[in-house]
Amino acid sequence: MPQATQTTPTPQAAPAPKPKPPEPPPEFQERDIATMDAAALIGILTDRSSAEFQKAKACQRIGELGTSEAVPALSTLLSNEHMNTYARYGLEPIADPSADDALRAALSKLKGNLLIGVINSIGKRRDAKAAPSLTKMLYDSDGDVARAAAMALGNIGGVSAMQELQSAIVKTKGMTRMAVADASLVCAERLLAEGQRAQALELYASLSAPGMPKSARLAAMQGIIREETSTSRPR
Amino acid sequence: MTTRRQILKTAVAPMIVPSLVLGQRAGAVPPSDKIVFGGIGIGARGGHDLRTLLNFSQAKFVAICDVRNERREEVKSMVDQKYGNSDCQMYDDQYALLARPDIDAVLIATGDRWHTPLAIIAAQHGKDVYCEKPCSMSMEESWALADAFRRYNRIYQAGCQRRNGGNFELCKELLKSGALGKLETLYANVGPSVNWPPLPSRDWLAAEELPPRQVLDWDRWLGPAPWRPYNSAYVRGGWRNFYDFHGGGILEWGSHTVDLCQWAAELDDTQPVEYEPVGTNTGPYQVLAKYASGVKLVMRDDGWEGSLKTGSCSFRLEGDKGWVETGDATRIECSDNIKPLLRPTAPANLALASHMEDLLRSIKTRQQPRASASAAANSHVVCHAAFIAYQRGKKLTWDPTKREFSNDDIANRMRSRALREPWRV
Repeated sequence: MPQATQTTPTPQAAPAPKPKPPEPPPEFQERDIATMDAAALIGILTDRSSAEFQKAKACQRIGELGTSEAVPALSTLLSNEHMNTYARYGLEPIADPSADDALRAALSKLKGNLLIGVINSIGKRRDAKAAPSLTKMLYDSDGDVARAAAMALGNIGGVSAMQELQSAIVKTKGMTRMAVADASLVCAERLLAEGQRAQALELYASLSAPGMPKSARLAAMQGIIREETSTSRPR
Repeated sequence: MTTRRQILKTAVAPMIVPSLVLGQRAGAVPPSDKIVFGGIGIGARGGHDLRTLLNFSQAKFVAICDVRNERREEVKSMVDQKYGNSDCQMYDDQYALLARPDIDAVLIATGDRWHTPLAIIAAQHGKDVYCEKPCSMSMEESWALADAFRRYNRIYQAGCQRRNGGNFELCKELLKSGALGKLETLYANVGPSVNWPPLPSRDWLAAEELPPRQVLDWDRWLGPAPWRPYNSAYVRGGWRNFYDFHGGGILEWGSHTVDLCQWAAELDDTQPVEYEPVGTNTGPYQVLAKYASGVKLVMRDDGWEGSLKTGSCSFRLEGDKGWVETGDATRIECSDNIKPLLRPTAPANLALASHMEDLLRSIKTRQQPRASASAAANSHVVCHAAFIAYQRGKKLTWDPTKREFSNDDIANRMRSRALREPWRV
């Protein structure tokens, strides 16, 4: 019989409140940094007496404001192990090309994870001027750097990146080869989005060859099928 | 003669397996037909998922990866006890687990900051994924997630199990049948602000002495989140409500209830175009959103059980002829004209088992399950947009096609977050 209000199990009760985390100490409270203007935030970054916490929050706030005047101050933090992410938090959303210049300049100064962070930000911003440096890094002795460079190149996209990735996939192995294959798939999608269908299909075809990493090979085949069966494909 | 091996080598089209062979919770399943799972970051919620998964005879769980030694051992103990052996392998490096060719799928139930990067890495390794919600920390992560699973043609089931809950399904059915009339407003209870304020803290807790790396690898625990000093309260579950680890209070339940609204209204492929925040960070609040069609979406703090006591994670559908509302209490409240159309439904606590079964079926059939990466990405983008509007304290207009706010540059800069090196999406 239909019923308006059904018999049910006991409603899920609110869980017992978890013990509240301790109160942040005064030196780790954001307070007025959240509402500071760009000049004051840059002041925090350039003041040698500023604490890490203050700098971290200033970077994040600058990222929201997108202040290009902060680029030099943010750039100095890229080499700081604790602050690198925060510096990129500030730099990544700044539309001004000076942010690209700063990230590109850092490529030759950093190593390891700090370098990888910068490469990742360059890839996110799709800075084509960084492509020559990234291409060299495809063969870096640090495999993590090589993989990051591949992904950045894939994100940047274009025929030049496509050719570099195609070249790298036969020269690399293991996890780096997987990353190059993944980057190539992204690059193919970029090419398709930019109307370079023939190049994208060529890239998919090369990734479909025997010997390619299995998951990328299947993805490339799917890419071909998706594209060839698309109702919007050229006929 | 063409051999089976040759066919498999060249096959790229989805392989359809009759559902007849699926869904068997008891009885023998040949080992070759079992879907082999690994798990990453299984804690309290993940343990619930895992216990549910272990009840399916067509699934086999073989490996756990965690940065916490005690968690690894707890999961191994649970699994080994269930299977009566000691086969569950433990890892502290996700790449080692994902490199195992025998593993078909992974259960990801880490903290939120890890969800998208790990799911994408799993897809790159050819694995299917069940991932707890919230699935992303930002709009950018949401899009990257959907892109990766489309690119690799992998199955992804977000932990939005209510999509497979009988009472929620009935509400959707009532809307689709026309019983509610023309849809006017969707209501998503995004949870009590006392538990999850819409604006999380950007503060840090005091530094404590780091435990030995073999007990807790703080670097990997932080993962893609920006560095901060260690404090044990984060690791004990206190990471929620800190901005660097959390996508804001709206996303906490909104990843369920906004997701339900989008699903029920068959709006899984889009988002509202307006977001207007109302209220404060300490009291009940709302974000009023509107789709291009004129349908409204109200994301509101309606208390833990909802004002109609329909239970946690409630949602409500209102049309010009009637309304329905339900939540985890399973009970459905509705307008008088809808009452004759109600029927008993399965208890809401069975939703997770149905959701897991949906995943297992999808892995076999290669058809996406109900909470696919694409659907989850869109509903998460709605929550992120509402969170950004709340942070900005102003009405924002959103273009779902261009993926940008049309009236606020700062809001656009909040669509992504920098990930700590070496992680990326």
